Amino acid sequence: MTSAADTRTGPYLELFAGRGAGGPVGARRQQAIERFEAAGFPGSRDEEWRQTNLGPILRARPVAASGRALGDGGALPFLYPDCDSMVFVNGRYAPAASSPPEGVTAFSLADPAGAGSELLAEHLGASVDGRASCSADAGVHPFAALNTALFEDGVALGIPAGTALERPIQVLWLSAPSADAAAGDNGAPASMEVSFPRLLVVAAENSQASVIETFAAADPAAGGYFVCPAAEFVCGAGSVVRHTRLQADAAGAFHIGFQHARLDRAAAFDSSSLAFGGALVRNDTVALLDGEGADCTLDGLYVLDGSQFTGNHMRVEHRQPHTTSHQLYKGVLDGQARSVFNGRIYVHQAAQKTDAKQTNRNLLLSKAALANSNPQLEIFADDVRCTHGSTIGRLDEDALFYLRARGIGFEEAHGMLVHAFAREVTDKATFEPLRRDLEARLFASLNGGRSNGQGG
Amino acid sequence: MLRVSDLHAKVEEQEILKGVDLEVGAGEVHAVMGPNGSGKSTLAQVLAGKEDYEITAGSLELDGEDLQEMAPEERAHAGLFLAFQYPVEIPGVGNSYFLKAAVNANRKARGESELDAMDFLKLLRERATLVDVDEALLRRPVNDGFSGGEKKRNEILQMAVLEPRLAVLDETDSGLDIDALKTVAAGVNALRAENRAFVVITHYQRLLNYIVPDHVHVLLDGRIVRSGGSELAHELEEKGYGGFDGARAEA
Repeated sequence: MTSAADTRTGPYLELFAGRGAGGPVGARRQQAIERFEAAGFPGSRDEEWRQTNLGPILRARPVAASGRALGDGGALPFLYPDCDSMVFVNGRYAPAASSPPEGVTAFSLADPAGAGSELLAEHLGASVDGRASCSADAGVHPFAALNTALFEDGVALGIPAGTALERPIQVLWLSAPSADAAAGDNGAPASMEVSFPRLLVVAAENSQASVIETFAAADPAAGGYFVCPAAEFVCGAGSVVRHTRLQADAAGAFHIGFQHARLDRAAAFDSSSLAFGGALVRNDTVALLDGEGADCTLDGLYVLDGSQFTGNHMRVEHRQPHTTSHQLYKGVLDGQARSVFNGRIYVHQAAQKTDAKQTNRNLLLSKAALANSNPQLEIFADDVRCTHGSTIGRLDEDALFYLRARGIGFEEAHGMLVHAFAREVTDKATFEPLRRDLEARLFASLNGGRSNGQGG
Repeated sequence: MLRVSDLHAKVEEQEILKGVDLEVGAGEVHAVMGPNGSGKSTLAQVLAGKEDYEITAGSLELDGEDLQEMAPEERAHAGLFLAFQYPVEIPGVGNSYFLKAAVNANRKARGESELDAMDFLKLLRERATLVDVDEALLRRPVNDGFSGGEKKRNEILQMAVLEPRLAVLDETDSGLDIDALKTVAAGVNALRAENRAFVVITHYQRLLNYIVPDHVHVLLDGRIVRSGGSELAHELEEKGYGGFDGARAEA
């Protein structure tokens, strides 16, 4: 007889059978699969996971997504102009659709030429499941461990010291599941294609780079597939790393992501996470402010409707003095959508003069939408400035009346106010094509949502 | 133009307006004066269509059309404008973007072509100059972080841009220093026209030194207890509202 845990973890352990075992990366894969096997999938008693219902993912049998060729120009609608790009289809590199950056180290993780690189040996997987880098209670992240064990391909990006890239690098993670993967009972697929996109960004001292990750589906109506990405950012002293994470998966998709940033002295890491798609989405972010004067900005926006779920779990550790972290996460929820924001700021004893701010604001557009917000501070230094706040509310009726009293119709006034709420996050995008894309997506999401009935 | 007859309105089971009669003709300026709690702001909000208030009796007509049947935006389309006592702060919505949306929503509703960016900007600049509003205010979010005086000026600017037929000014003078008061009054006076009427709601007589009304009404405990010419405002200044208790008893 097999236990429940076996039936859930078993198919993932089977996927491991074909993965390469050689070299330092192979050793980390081995370590990761062992950790995953020991920890298993989190249960309802696991504090960090109890509000994320993994049922639909765990009930489906994972099948490795096949590397599928995309028709000519299939990636084009998702690519920005004035940008270098690396395109992945079902987690595998599509060189014909890509125009990788020059003057930096940029290669596909599946490229044998890169297998022996120092970049990988030193950094890949070193932080994601390396418990040593986090405080003891951080524990193993089972999906990050899965990614390390099972990724087939991904991006390794090394920015040389002193180099400032002028163009952003867009990494497109396109899912194109085969049609039969979508079939299943009660809306839950019996099997689902799973991919494990992997990103490693190593910004050497005093370098600058901007990376845009786009998660999308070739067919927005595609059925259940599962994306389980992991990203590592190693931000060297004085480096400036901007990161945008646009999650625009198909409506039926599952997406459990993990990202980890380690900041050295005076490094700046600025990451925006924008979530529009997917049925069940979660994104965990860990930022370690590991050098004096490190500065981290984490912004997020989730726009949800129907029965979408999105969870954002943040962990920011201030480990050195004069470190700064600012978080602003905003959510717009319509229909029966649910969201969780779990933010933890951990200020170590050594981190005097920490300046930490965490804000989570939620706008509920329907009676059935539900937002959970749990900001937490753990402070072990005595000379710090830490603030956190969260709000969950409905549209400001007075503002709505004010706009209408000026002749602006209900629908337009409603749209203006919701846009204004969300734009605080999207307006931060400085790369014009990205900002315009975010605005268009915001507009489409909100206007699609309106047709599902007015909450107010 | 505006005809209010025997208007009764309540909020949360408390009756505030207890039979208000008010008739305003084109080109006229009416002042409605009264102490706190007399129902002045309720009257303004009911005119603009705030849903918190329930009209239990009486009627409201603008040019013969029943206002009660109209949504707030439809009232605006029909030419009604309320300068709010407490203008609402709307972070994230640019002042000039908001004004353009408002102007074009009204034009569209009236079957007129929408203004393009250039034409709108021209109109906005012209009106901003007319009511002495600094262009920097136009670039900021609607009322967000504005001082009290800036908010009131912004209301007058909106009025100047929207060109209403009937403008209701709800305590636009409250909290203004004398210079700001003069600016606001000058803006209103610049907009006085044959086909435009004003209802100026105020607690104090001072504003009426600068906006001279044709008619003054005293609102007390939800009723207009006395009406007269502009001299009535001066009488109020001398006697205070206490002198009208008798009138209330008679009413």
